[in-house]
Amino acid sequence: MTLAGAHKSGDLLAGFDRLVTQDRIEAYARASGDFNPIHIDAEFARNTQFGGRIAHGMLVLAFVSEMLAANFPATWHRGGRMKVRFRSPVFPGETVTVFGEVTGVSGSGPDAVLELKIGCRKPDGSEAISGEASVPVG
Amino acid sequence: MAVLDTASAGQVFGPYEVAIDPNRAEAYASAVGGSESPRYEDGLPPVALVAAGLTKLIDELGLAGGTVHLSQEAEFLRKVRAGEPISAKAELKANSVRRGSRFATLFVEYRDADGRLVATSSSTVMVPA
Repeated sequence: MTLAGAHKSGDLLAGFDRLVTQDRIEAYARASGDFNPIHIDAEFARNTQFGGRIAHGMLVLAFVSEMLAANFPATWHRGGRMKVRFRSPVFPGETVTVFGEVTGVSGSGPDAVLELKIGCRKPDGSEAISGEASVPVG
Repeated sequence: MAVLDTASAGQVFGPYEVAIDPNRAEAYASAVGGSESPRYEDGLPPVALVAAGLTKLIDELGLAGGTVHLSQEAEFLRKVRAGEPISAKAELKANSVRRGSRFATLFVEYRDADGRLVATSSSTVMVPA
């Protein structure tokens, strides 16, 4: 089925891999103001349910937003929507893969909006984040 | 006692300022950016604003360090400039205790200096009760 513009249901967005380093996590703490010790303090994090430091969920979500901005540079930040669940923690040293797939279209002409399945996979194939997004394309 | 222990759905928090200064903007680019990323000269992605706003809200509510972020919704209306004053106002949409943990959903509106909406977000968190 051909959808708005050049997109059709089942099309995959150009995704990318990102190595999550502790340097990235600490830079994100400075950017967001979130210095929760679960992200920063190895000793503290060792005694939590995760057994070590984990990346901010919003950092991993920011990677997904980057993918959407790269694929839809004119419209993602002007009407884009996302709805996701955080499913698994991402640990420093893991490389995650962000992905997106067109699932449909709503509206038509200048009001056309692409519907997407989006997410981020961990090295073992499990999903760190999964959800949906919509992007105006009219 | 954390604020959420006595707060009810409908309660409003803020407005509070969530401007991202140039140093934080640079840190954001270091943390998130890669070779395929759009350039940040024309403004930061509003998801950065949402993260900064959520952090401020968690601080304001006095949520414990064991707080877990379960889900996130957001709508973006435009990019924001580094240092641009943005006002965030939150409303508690749900607040309950189940199986020993508190679940709360907070809806936030982000507005620029002219009062125009820049982004909205809805975050659901689980807090050890």
